Amino acid sequence: MNNLMTREKWQTIKSRYSIYLVLIVMIIVCNLLNENFLSPRNLSNISAQISVTTILAFGETILIIGGLLDLSCGSVLALAGVLSVYVFKETGSLSLAFAVGLIVGVLCNFVNGILVRRFNIPAFIATLAMMTVARGIALLFTKGQNIYQIGDYVWFGQGKIGFVPLPVFFMIIVGIVTWYILGHTSFGRSLYAVGGNEEAARASGINVGRIKIGAYLINGAFVGLAGILLMARTNVGAPNAGQGYEFEALTAAIIGGTSFSGGLGTAGGTLAGAFIVGFLNNIMNLTGVDSYLQQVIKGGIIALAVGYDMWAKVNRTRKTLGAAKLPNERKEAKA
Amino acid sequence: MKFMKSIRTVTAVAALCLAATTVAQAENYKIAFIARAQADSFAAWLANGIMDEVKKYPDMTVDVMDAQADDAKENAFIENAVANKYDLIIVQPNNGEAQRPYVEQAVKDGVKVITTNARIKDIPGSSSVDADPYEQAAVNARLALEQIPQGANVVVLNGPSGNMHADMRRDAWQKEFFDKRSDVKIVGEQIAHWNKEEAMRFMEDWVQANDKIDAVVSMNDNMAAGALEVVKDDPKFDKMLAYGVDGTAEAMLLIQEGRMTSTALQNAYDLAAKNISVAHDLLTGKIEQIDTDIDCPLVTKDNVAEFIEIHKKSGAIK
Repeated sequence: MNNLMTREKWQTIKSRYSIYLVLIVMIIVCNLLNENFLSPRNLSNISAQISVTTILAFGETILIIGGLLDLSCGSVLALAGVLSVYVFKETGSLSLAFAVGLIVGVLCNFVNGILVRRFNIPAFIATLAMMTVARGIALLFTKGQNIYQIGDYVWFGQGKIGFVPLPVFFMIIVGIVTWYILGHTSFGRSLYAVGGNEEAARASGINVGRIKIGAYLINGAFVGLAGILLMARTNVGAPNAGQGYEFEALTAAIIGGTSFSGGLGTAGGTLAGAFIVGFLNNIMNLTGVDSYLQQVIKGGIIALAVGYDMWAKVNRTRKTLGAAKLPNERKEAKA
Repeated sequence: MKFMKSIRTVTAVAALCLAATTVAQAENYKIAFIARAQADSFAAWLANGIMDEVKKYPDMTVDVMDAQADDAKENAFIENAVANKYDLIIVQPNNGEAQRPYVEQAVKDGVKVITTNARIKDIPGSSSVDADPYEQAAVNARLALEQIPQGANVVVLNGPSGNMHADMRRDAWQKEFFDKRSDVKIVGEQIAHWNKEEAMRFMEDWVQANDKIDAVVSMNDNMAAGALEVVKDDPKFDKMLAYGVDGTAEAMLLIQEGRMTSTALQNAYDLAAKNISVAHDLLTGKIEQIDTDIDCPLVTKDNVAEFIEIHKKSGAIK
C-alpha cells in the first residue's frame, strides 16, 4: 500500500514537473560538456540573452491560455523600441522614453484586442495584420535606417542592479507579475476558463470580451518593455529588429507546457521552456557545434523535450482515469 | 479683327501647351526599383539614395517596391513592372539565381534592366552596377595579414549562407588571409544573418569559452558592432581587432573611437548615383549595356573623418 502511494506520488511529481526535470537533466549534461557552463558569468549571459524573448513568451502564455495568440509581437517590439529611442534622443528623458515604449505596445495590442473582440477576427489573422502594419510604421518612421548614438538609453539593456543585469531583473519582475495574474487573481481564473471552454465561461457569467482585451493589454505592456530592452541592449534603434521573435516566444511557451488549445499553462513552465532553448543555444556555441548542425540538433531536442512532457502528461491522465474507474469496477464486481 | 487676334493667340498657346506636353511625355521615363527588403538597413539606405538622386533628372521618376526578402514577391514585382510598361527596372536581388529567369524574360520583353547589389552575371542585354564583394573583404584581409599577431585566436561572423555577398566576402578572407596564416586558429564561426543581436549572443558565448580572442572577422559592420558591444567594458579585450564591411555610421563611429579596426565602405549614395546615371544613359540611348563597379575604399582610423561626413550628410550622425 505504502509502495503504491509512493509510486503514485512520484508519478504525479514526474508528470507535473516533467519540464523542470528536463531542465535539470539539461543542466547536468551541459555542465559535463563544458566546465564554463555553470560559471556565474555564463549563467548571467544566458539569462540576459533570453530575457527579451522570455518577456514576450510570458505575454504569449497569457494569450494562449485564453485561447488567443500574438504574431505581431516582433514587429510591435520594433515599433515601440524605435519610437522610445527617438523620444529619448529628442527629449533626453529616460522616463518619458520608457513610458512611450510601453504605451505604443499597449496601444497596438488594444487594437489587436478590439479586432478580435469587436470584429470577431481570428487572433491569428488580426495579429498577422498588426505584424505588417507595425513593421511598416517603424520603417516609414525611420526611413528604414537605424538610429545611432542613443547615449544613456543603453542603461535599460546594459545596466545592472547589484550583479543582476537589468533585462534579467525585468524578466524576473514580468515573470512574477505573470505568475501572480495567472494564479492569484479572478482575471487569471477567468482567463483559464475562457481558454478552456469559451461558451461555458460565458454561461457562467464571465465577460469574455473584457478578459480577451485585458489579456492583449497586458501582453502589450510586456511587448513594449521588450522593445525598450532590445534596443538598449544592442545600442541601436533598429526598425528591423525582432524579426522571428514571435516564433521564439511561442516556442518557449509551448515547450513550457502551454497548450495551444487554451486553458493550460504556467509562468514557471514558460520560464523553464525559455531556459531550455537558451541552454541549448549556449552549449552548442560553447562547444563549437557547426551552425547548420545546430539547427538540426535544436529542432530534435525541442521535439524530444515536448514529446517527453506530453507523454508524461498523457500517462498521468491515464493513471488518474484508471484510478477513478477502479472503485466502480470493484463495485460492479461485488454486485 | 480683335476676335481673330484672340483666336490666334489662344491657338498658339494651345499648340505650345500640346507640344510641351508631348515633349514632357516623351521624356518621362518610368523606373521601377525593386528593393531586396526595406527592412534591411543597407537596402533602405540605397532606396533613399536612389529617390534623392533621381530628383536631379527631371525626365525620370522612380517607384520603389519592397520584396521583403522574399523571392516570390521579388519575381512578381519584376513581372508586374514589365506588365505596367516601366521603361527600366533596377533589381536588387534577394537571390540572384531565383531572379535570373525573370530578369531574362524582362530583357526579352524589351525592358531595360540593371541588376545591383549584387549583380546577376551573364544575362545578355542587362546591365549591372555593383561593388565587388570579394574586394570589399579582401582590403580588410590584407590589412589583417599585417595586424593579427602570430598564433592568434579569431572568431568569424558570417552572413546568410547562399547570399552572394556573404559567400564572396568569406571566400576573400579565406584566400587572402586564412590560407596564408596557418598559425591563426578560428575558435568560433557562426552565421549571424547580418544581425547585431545575434552576433552579440555568439560573442557572449565565445568570450566564455575562450580566454583569449585576438580578432573578430565579420562579413558586415552590424555583426562586428554586436561583437564589440559585448566586450566594450572588458579590459581583457582592449586590444582586440575587429574588421567589418559596409561602412555604416555605427562602424565609422567605432573606428573613430579606436574600438573597431577597419571596414570597407560600400557607399549606398555612390551606388545610387551610379545606378541612376547608368539608367539615364541607357534610357537616352547613350549606352547599350554596361557592367560597372563602385570603389570600396578601406576605412581606418587614419581616414575615417572624411567618411563620417557622408553619414552627417544623411543625418545618421549628428
